[in-house]
Amino acid sequence: MKAETVEEFISELQKKAERGELLYIGQDLKRLDDLEKVLGSPVYTNDLLPRNALYARLVLSKYPHALIKGISISKALNYPGVRYVLTYKDVPGLNESSTIIPDRPLFAFDKVRSTGDIVAAVIAEKPTRAKEATELVEVDYEQLPAVFDPLEAMKPDAPKIHENGNIIKHVKVRKGDIEKGFQEADYIIENTFRTQHQDAVALETETAFAVPKDDKVLIIGSMQTPHHVQAAVAKVLGWPIDRVEVIQAVTGGAFGPKSDETPYDVASIAALGALKTGRPVLMSMTREESMKAHTKRHPAIITHKTGVKSNGKLTASKVQIVLDGGAYASLGVLVIVRATFHANGPYDIPNVWNDGYKVYTNNTYTGSFRGFGAPQAIFAAEAQMDEIARKLNIDPLDLRLINMLRPGSRTSTGQLMDESCGLPECVEAVVNASDYRNKRKQYESQNGTVRRGIGIALLHHGNALGPEGNDYAYIHLTVERSGKIHLGTGLTEYGTGAISGLAQIAASVLGVPLDYFVIDRPNTLVHHETGPTVASRVTAIGGNAARDAALKLKQKILPVASKMLECNVDDVVLVDGYAFCKGKEGRNVAWEEIVKEAYDANIELSTLGYYIAPECKWDPETGLGSPYNQYTFGAAIAEVEVDMETGQYRVLNYYVAFDVGKAINPQRVRGQILGGTVQGLGYAMMEELVHKNGYVVNPNLKDYYIPTSLDIPENIQTFIIEKAGSIGPYGAKIVAEPPIVLPAPAVRNALLNAVGSGVNSLPITSEKVLNAIKSSRK
Amino acid sequence: MKSLLIKMNVNGVDREVLVDPDDRLLDVLRDELNLKSVKEGCGTGDCGICTVLMDGKPVLSCIIPAFQANNHKIVTLEGLNSDPTMQKIQQSFRKYQAAQCGFCTPAMEVVGWHLLNTEKKVDKNRIKEAISGVLCRCTGYYDIVDAVYEVAQQ
Repeated sequence: MKAETVEEFISELQKKAERGELLYIGQDLKRLDDLEKVLGSPVYTNDLLPRNALYARLVLSKYPHALIKGISISKALNYPGVRYVLTYKDVPGLNESSTIIPDRPLFAFDKVRSTGDIVAAVIAEKPTRAKEATELVEVDYEQLPAVFDPLEAMKPDAPKIHENGNIIKHVKVRKGDIEKGFQEADYIIENTFRTQHQDAVALETETAFAVPKDDKVLIIGSMQTPHHVQAAVAKVLGWPIDRVEVIQAVTGGAFGPKSDETPYDVASIAALGALKTGRPVLMSMTREESMKAHTKRHPAIITHKTGVKSNGKLTASKVQIVLDGGAYASLGVLVIVRATFHANGPYDIPNVWNDGYKVYTNNTYTGSFRGFGAPQAIFAAEAQMDEIARKLNIDPLDLRLINMLRPGSRTSTGQLMDESCGLPECVEAVVNASDYRNKRKQYESQNGTVRRGIGIALLHHGNALGPEGNDYAYIHLTVERSGKIHLGTGLTEYGTGAISGLAQIAASVLGVPLDYFVIDRPNTLVHHETGPTVASRVTAIGGNAARDAALKLKQKILPVASKMLECNVDDVVLVDGYAFCKGKEGRNVAWEEIVKEAYDANIELSTLGYYIAPECKWDPETGLGSPYNQYTFGAAIAEVEVDMETGQYRVLNYYVAFDVGKAINPQRVRGQILGGTVQGLGYAMMEELVHKNGYVVNPNLKDYYIPTSLDIPENIQTFIIEKAGSIGPYGAKIVAEPPIVLPAPAVRNALLNAVGSGVNSLPITSEKVLNAIKSSRK
Repeated sequence: MKSLLIKMNVNGVDREVLVDPDDRLLDVLRDELNLKSVKEGCGTGDCGICTVLMDGKPVLSCIIPAFQANNHKIVTLEGLNSDPTMQKIQQSFRKYQAAQCGFCTPAMEVVGWHLLNTEKKVDKNRIKEAISGVLCRCTGYYDIVDAVYEVAQQ
């Protein structure tokens, strides 16, 4: 507070007190963890490595599908500087490194199923020595027939990658009467869309080191979900989990793959290496190892068949999604659920028939990545909408306005939308800001070499885990005698600032400034298992637990304050680090004084907050029901400029709105929208981890392009819509993932507007645009 | 045993370091001199987060053999932490929440500092050009450009 007189100070306190629990909600408070980041302090995993550590490098499979007839490590072991070579024979517990379906060994033993499979790990005094020695590990392979196309892999006579056939998971939505829906239609439109492997490219690769500690092992690593890593390592070691301590170091980007199986691999290999050598071992993936061995975004083949009346009303939507799962199931068995439930886009369609398949192939495996199936599904759904509009010769915006979700309408699974559906407001915001109607008219008659186009895309995004698991969180708050408040949780920070947001919520409830808070490092031996840090769920789910912990702490603080202030407990107000009694603002006590008083009165000040979201109910056979408690909505409009002779294009303007329920910290919401948008533009325009016969062709950042600062649209405008959701704190919905979804369909539809023909596969390279230009001239 | 003795001035201090022929400048800075702000993101000179200043110019420390730094002057973020312009940049990064995961932050700050110290008039496009060799996967660059631009205007 900057008050200069006592009166001003008191009046500010009174004013802030009127905000009640919303004291700091909706404010751009700064994050608590960035001082160390801007100073370049040593806080990331590899920065913390003890000096006497050894380094591990991986031996990856030479073939996409082969039997292993023998492994000889003797030459590698004798190489200068090499201290150990790990293979499956060194695994004392279960040789398994899987999340949901136990189909993936840590070290390949009987066969390899992809070129990302780990066969051995060499441990040496220097990374270079370890790398050189990997060439000396001799593996005797017998090649097997392989399959790389997921449609081929679904056929009964395809090479079997695992025992039980290649279809890992089949998800269904069956709503209404699909045949009747097609009969009612005036037009039926069918298209197939394809998407590519996208690599998350967190700038810090997967990394962990292990330190042997008596009969225990300490692991420090980069990850989203330390408790799952703890369980995975304990399983590999054959130990009770309490002998494995996992600490999440400051993490240099995650985006999903660091919640999947690769963090298990690096932690388990580091742990095995440390126990075999008695020294700390670092398993820090090179970029190439990471791009070959970690999970990527699933390529998808998506076919749409849509029935529509000539007035634009959709009558039926039949969608088949086939995800290329690569060699292992990973969290991908849940990715296909989200993809299938979102396959028809944010529209009210009476008759729906969706089939989603996740399929094994001999490509490197795919799994969790920001958006979790939604980017593929919504790209196809929104491209299909523009193709329908073209067929009907109506504006794509009008087609959407006729069919889109609004309060009172129902999703593909029959879930009723209530007042929390802010999709119409999102559309309105971007349509107005972009001057969509006029631009559309303006671009109708273009003749030059350089042409422009404008396109729109919408989304809904089921919040948090929904069908993906029990959605719960624990937050510990502990107050030191000094008044400092520690916030501890198994939920992790990896860049979004969401954990600072939890402190912001607790601060708001307690009426204590944010800078009293300290965020403790997640530690599996200190913090409760608290579910995975995925699905953008920290604020919406963890926020409720933070609020719960703060309310419980407040219940301990208020009686102490009331005694000190000599007034009724119900009249005590906590604001900005002070307590006073209603109407007696002149007499107040500081937070530090109350805390000291509490400790002196033998009252301990720590609480455990907990929250679990209401169970989501849906029928697994039909998909019908409410698979998610609440939805985030979004709309984007992209404006592009295309060179008609080369197919080269750029995105000039991008307008994007999200209904986030309640923005706890609007600046950080905007940060997620901007960052997700640019990662989504990479997906739309340039990123593809190319697989050729099971080999990754471009496992490096020279040949795999991600957007640089020169690739971003000059003009980007973001809008935050707030239609309170039913479960998040103060109505908050999730926001971190949806922004990556919209660029691909919005850019694709803008290009369609510019050149008159659509590109139905990602990424949309200039070559594909040129082909579209040629085909529209025919 | 490390076999080559090299001399460098690092962050204003003359250092002598024994290195291997295959050590990179990055390894020496991080492992021998404990300058952990210098990050490795690709090891192939493509992501830019290992950027340091060599004789006043940004270079990629992951593709420079350590022995090539012999008799050169190296500056990392640690050497600039008490510089007033760098402190302004750091404060501005915090104000704009331009450090998300933070892994590219030191390189972005060093490159931004170099730009502001070598050019008088800097607009947003020039900042975008200057930082285009450093990849960021979290922010989409906008907040970083705004953070540097605010200092450029002071």
